[in-house]
Amino acid sequence: MATISEKQGISRRSVTIQSNLERNAFMFMRMSGIALLILAVGHMMIQHVLNSSTNLTIQFVAQQWNSWGWKIYDLLLLAFAIPHGINGLRNVLEDYVHNETAVKWINILLAIFVVATLLWAGYAILRFDATPFMD
Amino acid sequence: MASLTLTIREAVRYRGRSGQISWIAHRISGLAILAFLVIHVWDTANAFFAPNIYAWSLALFKNPFFALGEVGVMAAILYHAMNGIRITILDFKPEWWIYQGRSAIIVWVMFFALFIPIAILMFSGLAAHCGEMAAVGDSCWRLPSLSEFPPSMFE
Repeated sequence: MATISEKQGISRRSVTIQSNLERNAFMFMRMSGIALLILAVGHMMIQHVLNSSTNLTIQFVAQQWNSWGWKIYDLLLLAFAIPHGINGLRNVLEDYVHNETAVKWINILLAIFVVATLLWAGYAILRFDATPFMD
Repeated sequence: MASLTLTIREAVRYRGRSGQISWIAHRISGLAILAFLVIHVWDTANAFFAPNIYAWSLALFKNPFFALGEVGVMAAILYHAMNGIRITILDFKPEWWIYQGRSAIIVWVMFFALFIPIAILMFSGLAAHCGEMAAVGDSCWRLPSLSEFPPSMFE
């Protein structure tokens, strides 16, 4: 049966690719991208359009992080945005760096950076106590 | 390094039309967002680790130089989000590759339709802030010093 795409000269053949790091990274970029469409664009709309950086204070941040809803939102945003961004940087770097040892080191250093950032900022959000900032 | 020079030269020379422009815009917007994001995340963590440094950075980021950067980040995020969805859809729907060019134009139209009103809103917020600062004899262009935010302010 000729499908529409075959009539247009494009045929589709599905291939099964074994699960490996690069395939998972590829899938992660698409899936986290969909999550970030809601989380990151939502964050920009809420914090930078509905609210404005020009009247942002630490008290405002404390008021938001006084609720677990905002803490979870920001933790999710953190957990998707940092790996998505760093993996994007890795993809860009690998287009220009052709030395295999250098690529290996870039991967290791970027992975350490992702883990360190997630731990540092995740700990800050989780442990943040709003009481000193509330009047 | 040689391949980076080659990329920049070929980006100008190569006539890849809409797909190539989208590819370049996606890369540049992604790298711009990442540069901002890393600073933003480590800065925001200071709300917990060093609240006075965080309060100082919030004041600093109200300067029009940073406000302009914020509008730039907004543009980068909106384009990257729209174009990222296009890439994802086309990755899983090869049948739609014939719409490559058309979809790239739809992304640009959606981007400008969202970004222009948002940029106007953001700039009017900045103008209001500068007006308020001027009304009390201060200037929004003045860079606040860290000494204005002593660690004792949150004790």
